[in-house]
Amino acid sequence: METNYLIWLLLVPLILSLVAFAARWMGRFTRPVAEAAHLVCITVVLVLTLLVIRGVLNSGVVFAMRNWLHVDALGAVFLLIIGLVGFLAGLYSIGYIRHDLETGEFDNNKLSLYYGLFSLFLFTMLLVVTSNNIIMMWVAVEATTLGSAFLVGIYGHYSSLEAAWKYVVICTVGVAFGLYGTILIYSDAVNVMQVPGAAVLWTEIVKYAKDFDPALLKMSFVFVMVGFGTKAGLFPMHAWLPDAHSEAPSPVSAMLSAVLLNCALFIIIRFSIITNQGLGPAFTQTLFLIFGTVSVAAAAFFIFVQRDVKRLLAYSSMENIGLIVLAFGLGGPFGVFAGLLQAVNHSLVKSLMFCTTGNILIKYRSRNLDQVKGMLQVIPFTSLLLICGALALIGTPPFNIFVSKFFIITTGLGTGYTWLMIFCLLLLTVVFAGFLRFIVAAVFGEKPADMVKGEFNWLTLAPVAVLLVLILILGVYMPPQLAALLQGATGVALTGNPAIQSSSFGQLQNFTGLSAGLVQTKAFMASINNLLP
Amino acid sequence: MTGVTLVNSLSGLLIITSLLVIEVKQPRWSALLYSVQSIILVIIFIVLGYIHQADQLYLWAATAFLTKVVLVPLILYRAMSRVPDEEMPKNTMGPTLTLVMAAIALAVSFIVINQLQLKAAEPFKPALAVSLAHFFFGELCIMTQRNLFKQLLGFCLMENGSALTLALLAYSAPELVEIGLVTDAVFGVVIMVLLGNQIYKNLHTLDTAKLNTLRG
Repeated sequence: METNYLIWLLLVPLILSLVAFAARWMGRFTRPVAEAAHLVCITVVLVLTLLVIRGVLNSGVVFAMRNWLHVDALGAVFLLIIGLVGFLAGLYSIGYIRHDLETGEFDNNKLSLYYGLFSLFLFTMLLVVTSNNIIMMWVAVEATTLGSAFLVGIYGHYSSLEAAWKYVVICTVGVAFGLYGTILIYSDAVNVMQVPGAAVLWTEIVKYAKDFDPALLKMSFVFVMVGFGTKAGLFPMHAWLPDAHSEAPSPVSAMLSAVLLNCALFIIIRFSIITNQGLGPAFTQTLFLIFGTVSVAAAAFFIFVQRDVKRLLAYSSMENIGLIVLAFGLGGPFGVFAGLLQAVNHSLVKSLMFCTTGNILIKYRSRNLDQVKGMLQVIPFTSLLLICGALALIGTPPFNIFVSKFFIITTGLGTGYTWLMIFCLLLLTVVFAGFLRFIVAAVFGEKPADMVKGEFNWLTLAPVAVLLVLILILGVYMPPQLAALLQGATGVALTGNPAIQSSSFGQLQNFTGLSAGLVQTKAFMASINNLLP
Repeated sequence: MTGVTLVNSLSGLLIITSLLVIEVKQPRWSALLYSVQSIILVIIFIVLGYIHQADQLYLWAATAFLTKVVLVPLILYRAMSRVPDEEMPKNTMGPTLTLVMAAIALAVSFIVINQLQLKAAEPFKPALAVSLAHFFFGELCIMTQRNLFKQLLGFCLMENGSALTLALLAYSAPELVEIGLVTDAVFGVVIMVLLGNQIYKNLHTLDTAKLNTLRG
């Protein structure tokens, strides 16, 4: 049954994207048909995502299409991000694009193109995290660039076309490096396994990786890190990120920041598992620590000097991706768990923030902090969402990112990286200052004289409010299913074996409260530690 | 001349065509030279197919001929023909410096490839080094060219490098894999040409040096 769900999970957004594209020829029915196709797509994708995840929780792994598709706990975590953020950002899209239609930024043709591309973009990201075939994984990630390039440049302004071109060129070049690394791994897999059909499947490669040529493993992982790291927005390959994320329509910015970056990170993690099997974890962890730390450092200073709201959030994405990578660099069960938790938490908060800035754009028609002032008097509900989102991003309790950042820092201190963690805390202080300045500048102060008070419509508020509720809940409570998923994903990331976590699920009991959850997680991590070589 | 020597020698020709693609002044000629380079690549595939007795490589040669020799250069040639020559931006780097950087890239590639233990591809290490160097040639093209269609050709050079690496190291990959790569490459070119056309239509320039309003 889950096999069928997995296949439909990919087919539905592909089919509905074609329906949305075709809507442009339906005259006055263009908008209702395109919106309906979009709404059905994001809803069905969310439902199917949850069904597939349930299958993973029950059986550990789901396969389909002669094992070319595969979802284990690690894939399920990223699938959850795609399904949830895709649904909420997609719902927000409807209200946001209706505003663009009213103001003349969009016409019916562009609307149909937008919803078609959104569904196609969703399809390509789903293909990335469900592919077991490493070459098809690369094709899917390249397809995410090509599919989203027109979304980035959809407004057709000078700046948006510039951003789209930079995005396409830099990411395509980067992903080409990732392809080279993929081909090197595949070629060694064929040499070792002598079965070309199996040597292309990640689940098979992992079993034989310990017999691969060490020099080739190192070289391929460097290519993968640089290549897919470009797509993930790691410094210094990040040049496209602030441009693309700021120029795209706000719901697309949410998808780029909260989902796409994670998809690229997912591939890096998949290849790190292969490399770790062959070389041990030290090599990949060193690279993760380097790229993670410099990404956080560079992002912190860019955040501090930003005057453009969306560019500020884009650099915040770079900072958070850097933190996730750094957590993987700390290694061990705690580091990996903390990194995965940060990935989930950041996705929810960042999508909240980008949708909120969409409301700012609707009202103020500007992203410049010199013009966005007195939000509390103009759009009070959005202001509240913005304040909460910003506090969440800087790691303030009781929001969810506090938990994962705390976990990362304490793991670093526990594993002997004291000075590195002190350095990170200093950088996070710079980020804190940057966001504080942003909130004070935008929310308080005198509103522009001609600004009328009032939000746009409920569609631009409800999805964001749901995100706020989620980030508050996850700040104080971890649902047992999510904990099980994260623990299973940790097991996969450390050992490459999806069977590790299935017996450990039995250890979990329903727990409430953060401290109880951490105690349970610690017990599980200890059991994982005993299984590592 | 044995098959191995032929493959390694033809790879040397790939270097020459890549440098010509980067340096030739007329962008339309770059598209044609890319087509010539792809013909050399197709011949390499056929020779490798004969050496390894691998029928897949003949299929790859056929798909590479259709896409890299005919389709992609045609798309690029037509896209560039819509823009008058006087509006085509010039290179940022002279040919001497380009040659020096290409030589460095090639040297580094040879050093890196020499470190690897590749049983099946041991005789083809020179060709493998050339395939890796094509990545850097492609990057060189993207960095030194202000014409966005020529930057696209840089991407195409990188794709040729990947294709050669795949043929040398992984010729037994399932056909669907090669089809996926080729389809992706073609789609990539089509989408970048569409985006390039949109940029030219709306902004009246192909000069990437003018696409620098977004900073910081």
